[in-house]
Amino acid sequence: MSQTATWLHAAFDLPADAQSALEQLAEDGVAANDIEVRSSIPLVHEVCPVGLEVHSRVPLMAVAGGLLGGTAAFLLVTLTSLAYPLPTGGMPIVPLPTVGVVTFEGLALGAILCTVATVFYECRLPRLGGRAGPLDHHLAAGSIIVAAKSTDGASEAWAAKATATEVHEVL
Amino acid sequence: MKEEALVRPLSGFRPWLIVGTLVTGAIAGLLFFSWGYQIKNDIGVAGINRPVFWGFYITNFVFWIGISHAGTLISAILRVTSAEWRRPVTRCAEAITVFALSIGGLFPLIHLGRPWLFWFMIPLPNHRGLWPNFRSPLVWDMMAIGTYLTGSVLYLLLPLLPDMAILRDRALAETPQSPRARLFRLLAMGWRGTTQQWHSLEAGIKVMAVVIIPVAVSVHTIVSWDFSMTLQPMWHSTIFGPYFVVGAIYSGIAVLMLAMYLLRRGLGLQEYLSDKVFNNLGLLFVSFTIIWAYFTFAEHLTVWYGSEPSEMAVFWERVSGEYAPIFWGMIVVNVVIPLGVLPFPWGRKPLATAIVGLGVLVGMWIERFLIVVGTLRMPHLDFTVGTYQPSWVEMGVLVGSFGMFAMLYFLFVQFAPIVSIWEVREGDHIASSVPASAQSVGDEA
Repeated sequence: MSQTATWLHAAFDLPADAQSALEQLAEDGVAANDIEVRSSIPLVHEVCPVGLEVHSRVPLMAVAGGLLGGTAAFLLVTLTSLAYPLPTGGMPIVPLPTVGVVTFEGLALGAILCTVATVFYECRLPRLGGRAGPLDHHLAAGSIIVAAKSTDGASEAWAAKATATEVHEVL
Repeated sequence: MKEEALVRPLSGFRPWLIVGTLVTGAIAGLLFFSWGYQIKNDIGVAGINRPVFWGFYITNFVFWIGISHAGTLISAILRVTSAEWRRPVTRCAEAITVFALSIGGLFPLIHLGRPWLFWFMIPLPNHRGLWPNFRSPLVWDMMAIGTYLTGSVLYLLLPLLPDMAILRDRALAETPQSPRARLFRLLAMGWRGTTQQWHSLEAGIKVMAVVIIPVAVSVHTIVSWDFSMTLQPMWHSTIFGPYFVVGAIYSGIAVLMLAMYLLRRGLGLQEYLSDKVFNNLGLLFVSFTIIWAYFTFAEHLTVWYGSEPSEMAVFWERVSGEYAPIFWGMIVVNVVIPLGVLPFPWGRKPLATAIVGLGVLVGMWIERFLIVVGTLRMPHLDFTVGTYQPSWVEMGVLVGSFGMFAMLYFLFVQFAPIVSIWEVREGDHIASSVPASAQSVGDEA
């Protein structure tokens, strides 16, 4: 039998109000993983659930993608030049300066593609269909949405300064 | 909503946008008509001949690739340096890159004469045993332009996601069943604006900004190597790489100033594309005027001082021969007028910068033409001096390419906010968080 969880979503106009709501939630003992903050601008360092640590592997994956792309381009040029040797009049079949140009472009392409793929993976995108979440129109207007999973005995005082609230049940 | 001016072109029926799209689309049709005529009747209908085997098409290729440096490179530099005034500029600049690069990439295909054989450049095993020669700068071109185009498209689309989500949420609240609501829902890809999403997106944009700068520099350097790797007079130069990059950024800023002025007037974006933005970009513009003038002087001084006969033939043709009127015209619109206007505060107002920008665009096209055709007309041996007269087909392709660029821009402003809503909001938020005293210090800086 499936169980539903109840989430209370609250829209705040000011980041300070949203942050004090998050502090109130922490005092009430709500775990950081049971809280979600959404905004139309990046407020990662300003409005963040207490105890939540956000990480991104984007820089690391960009380096990995660059190495992969550079290696692939280098191998493409060197191996295929050796497999299809063109008449070069005694010049090297695989001249490193010209190989370097193609390798650089492969490196950059690998870094770019890996960066974008990692951003999409970490953001859980694409997620097509359906509404993004409750109070979306407030989000579009610039409000900050704080959502917290309701637990037994938890008060809803944290949402006192909210301009709008909505209860949402999730399977 | 505060950003009404930004979303106005995206909602409802805007007759002048539709008319603009249709008119520029008709001009763009000239490109495809001329190209189609050439495909049907062969490359002989173009004015290129021996020894001028590169004419308008390669001039246009270099010109449009140069224009593409307006966006992603300038936007990336401004992002990396955290220039706050960049916020309204970045997207219209990035869109210029994507469209100019797409158009520039068409020209090698057009010049090819038989575009269906283009795939011979791609490293795929084929029945004729042909394989790309990776030692050729033309193959490097394909790799560099492919990388830059991929990077620029993604660099434009990634920061668009939060704006598409804002538009989606607005449209779903107002007209949930409308095609626009469905379109924005699709384009937002499910963006929710969570803490993790913002953290990852910011990291991604920063990394891409850092990676895209050397790629942009490499693209025009490699385009310059198409010329300088040969032993042709006034091509075989060690400073051709940086000279091309500087020229590309210069023409890029010129088209950006012009586009920003037209967007400001046409879409009523005075609040965002403010006088301050034009003033700051105008200062960048005047800096690149001086740098471009310096490179042009250095390039010609070295040739004149060396006095090598084949080089001097091209030099005198340019300075006092058949091409002198357009050469000195180029100097006037690229150096004299910008230096007579841009250093003054009144010269960095929107209209003045747009007029200077238009002149620089013309001047930079002439510069590309002089480099391509000027040298090829005067090769090493006297008896091969050639002539070049562009045909109507080449003219049609040139005019059509401008129409296509404008049409793509008209379409873009109807489907995406041309000024990034979230970045402007973020800028407002930062400004409201900083004490007034610190803000005034920052403004002075």
